[in-house]
Amino acid sequence: MATLYLIFIIFLGGAILTYYAGKLGSVLQDIIFLATILGATSLFYAGVHINDFMSFNPGGITLTWGINYFGWLFSLIVLGLGSLAAVYSVGYMKGKKRRGYFYFNFILSIMAMLGILVSQDLISFFIFWEIMTWSSYLMVIYNGKDDQKLGLKYFIFSAIGAYAMLMAIVMVHSVTNTFLIGNMIEAYPQMSLSWQIWIPILFLTAFGVKAAMMPLHVWAPGAYSSSPMAYTSVFSGALSKMGIYGMVIILVTMISHLPQGIWFRETLAWLGGLTAALGTLWAIKQDDAKKLLAYSSIAQLGYIITGVAIGTELGLLAGLFLAVMHALFKGTLFMVVGAIEKQTGTTNFTEVTGLIRKMPWTFFSALLAIIALAGIPPLGGFVGKWMLYEALITSNHYLLVILIFFASTAAFLYCYKFLFGFFMGQEEKEWEHVKEAPATMVVPMVLMALFMAVLGSWPGIILNPINNGLVDLGFVSTYKHLWDTSILFNSWGNQVVLKPLLYSVVAIFVFFAIVLIWKGFKGTRYVSTKDISSSGEVPGENENLTFSLGFAQPFLRAVGPVMKRQIDRYYTEFADGLESFFEFLRRIYTGNGQTYAIYVFVFVVIVLLFKDVLF
Amino acid sequence: MELFINILGAIVTFLVAFIVGMTYGGLNRKITARVQNRKGPPFYQNFIDAFKLSSKETAIHHGIMHYLGPAFLMVSSVMTLLIVPVFTNNGWFPNLNFKGDLIFLIYIMTFGPLGMALGSGQTGNPNAAIGVTRGLSQMVGFEIPWVMALIALMIQYHTTSIEGLMEAQAQTGTWFMFSSPFAFIAAILAMFGMFRYSPFDIVSAPTELASGPASENGGKYLFVMMSSGSVFTFAKLTLYVDLFLGGAANLPVLLLKTFALYLIPILYGMTTPRYRTEQAIRWFWGWPSFFGLLAIIQAVIL
Repeated sequence: MATLYLIFIIFLGGAILTYYAGKLGSVLQDIIFLATILGATSLFYAGVHINDFMSFNPGGITLTWGINYFGWLFSLIVLGLGSLAAVYSVGYMKGKKRRGYFYFNFILSIMAMLGILVSQDLISFFIFWEIMTWSSYLMVIYNGKDDQKLGLKYFIFSAIGAYAMLMAIVMVHSVTNTFLIGNMIEAYPQMSLSWQIWIPILFLTAFGVKAAMMPLHVWAPGAYSSSPMAYTSVFSGALSKMGIYGMVIILVTMISHLPQGIWFRETLAWLGGLTAALGTLWAIKQDDAKKLLAYSSIAQLGYIITGVAIGTELGLLAGLFLAVMHALFKGTLFMVVGAIEKQTGTTNFTEVTGLIRKMPWTFFSALLAIIALAGIPPLGGFVGKWMLYEALITSNHYLLVILIFFASTAAFLYCYKFLFGFFMGQEEKEWEHVKEAPATMVVPMVLMALFMAVLGSWPGIILNPINNGLVDLGFVSTYKHLWDTSILFNSWGNQVVLKPLLYSVVAIFVFFAIVLIWKGFKGTRYVSTKDISSSGEVPGENENLTFSLGFAQPFLRAVGPVMKRQIDRYYTEFADGLESFFEFLRRIYTGNGQTYAIYVFVFVVIVLLFKDVLF
Repeated sequence: MELFINILGAIVTFLVAFIVGMTYGGLNRKITARVQNRKGPPFYQNFIDAFKLSSKETAIHHGIMHYLGPAFLMVSSVMTLLIVPVFTNNGWFPNLNFKGDLIFLIYIMTFGPLGMALGSGQTGNPNAAIGVTRGLSQMVGFEIPWVMALIALMIQYHTTSIEGLMEAQAQTGTWFMFSSPFAFIAAILAMFGMFRYSPFDIVSAPTELASGPASENGGKYLFVMMSSGSVFTFAKLTLYVDLFLGGAANLPVLLLKTFALYLIPILYGMTTPRYRTEQAIRWFWGWPSFFGLLAIIQAVIL
């Protein structure tokens, strides 16, 4: 069991070494960085046994570390995505400044997330949670300036969440006298009703902030888009899942004992649905790929929250499967944006177009990731979406399922915008020099894309660990025997048999591709994107035919009324209100000795004048 | 042997769908012409066009996605066709009927248009991309009443599979068209958007967008797109017949029912000029969704 200590020592030592190795040479720094992450990862999977716990007693408080099946499931996301993103980071950070700073925080984030998963007591959970917040905050302000207060916003919301969690921890301790999560769960059914309600609310606030749940999501677009893309793939892919991790534990182990738990579930499920719908609408509106993906992350986390919150078997499976899928496809997409940013210097759809022939591998991974995101079969996203819909329909959430359907249909618009904006459309002279990204960046993306394709027909690879994790939390499984055969079942007994469907899709596609290519892809001549018939006229050389501004404008006009109000504005108004209040206070506390002398003088005069009345 | 029969079944189903769909397309042209007091082409004109297009030699391409776009489109139409049962009681090749349910069907139906959208996107023609965004927007519009209608049926009969719903109709002896009238109305109204005839022809919009996503395609590309459209028409009509008109036991009945349904969007379109995109979307979120809501309320109460 000492392996677990060793892993954390490797992480800490590696972080510090990497930070200082920059002075000796950038290659050495890269090597130490990769060795730290990959070494700790392989050590974790080789040396750490599941359900093997160890305790120690610093200062009279019992702390327990160890991993259960549920944590192990999330460790796949954290360490899997973390390792691939680490490989990607080496390519991405090449030639950038503050590499040591980046690597240091990257390693600390991965360590903190793993720490959260192995913590079996609330104290180490909280400490790792704070390390995670700090290291990600430092990444948000990577550029050194925080002009738009994006980092500040992230930090304030994280602090609100952390205080809520701290309060809950203190409340729990006052009842149980221990900090162990297991004891908290055992003691929960005997607590008084008001505590039974307040403790989950406080915890869910903390987790909701990290999972970017409406109305606590406002930090996410700014924070996701201003940290370096190599980190954002982890930030959005893995770090946000920590909120889901906590949420599932609270929902499954605690709220299911509460008779009033149904209100928690319904509220959370509807918040998730609203998050999904509104996040999607705002994603369609964005012209910057980073912002688009950030809003899309919020929306996708909404699906996950909905699935987890309705709490039926299929719902939990759907939520957790989508969580893994989201880590994969959003990780890939942020990496794609990073690659494009590195090769072209911009991430704006209105500037970059027509990269498909210049960056084919990047396009390939983006295409698969987008298909998975849209939930189109035969990729893995469909499995999650299918289970989510069936879970909602079979558990009588008729209106919620329509909201979710609306969100995921509208998501096609931003999916197309992403692919079209970067890769399709007119090829412009400005981007003629663009080359494919270096191999260290392309390989992780392609690997993740292929894994998504595999999960579409063999979802058992992930569903089995999910099942084990749920059983660990005290949930009974029934569908387990079907996953090795790749059949999806709902509780009404309807099924989707994935493999024959995949084979048919592939067969039909190949057949018609051959029909089209017959007598030659070679026989036809490639013509440039300027050589088209636009209304029967051949466009001139300098005619601008790029379509990127006002993308999906008619749709946004149709949904205009919904998007008039933005919760962010209320927060900003509240903050402005506080600021002006403090401005007013500063007129009283001027810091000037003479003003204070006047106050004292006035006070004494008042006392003297009214001494008969007062005393 | 079983595999061979399955493949044979798929091919025969495809051919039937192709012929019927093409004929319906020709009849549509004929009817439109008669309403506009023209003579119009013969009903088999579409076959002539298809033959001409397929025998044309292709000289240019805009890249690999452009080349494969129509193949994506075809995957979605053929998969839809294979999932939908053609006759009741599997009096025809069952194909993939038992392998997928309605949710799968809804999603595989969107596979093709997105693939096609990528293909036409690579041509660089701005009209194509504008058409695609219009099409996707319209899809968000009509999916809402369509899904509402389907969910109403699903929750009332506790099944998400097409066979289950057909069996329910066979057992009760009434078509869902009569037992769930609101769902039927919502689904029929959603059908206008699905078939994209006037007034919802905002995707191809002949006068504005020069036929939109199809604009850079000719010859073999256009042939594949055209056959995919015909197959898709037949598959969607059969799906409607299966869900709301109790299915069909043999080919004449199926043709009768599908053609009756097909006339609804055609004839409605002849009297109405094209909507703008946002008007079209809002139209679907108006009365059609209201009927969809009524259908769900009816399903919950019963």
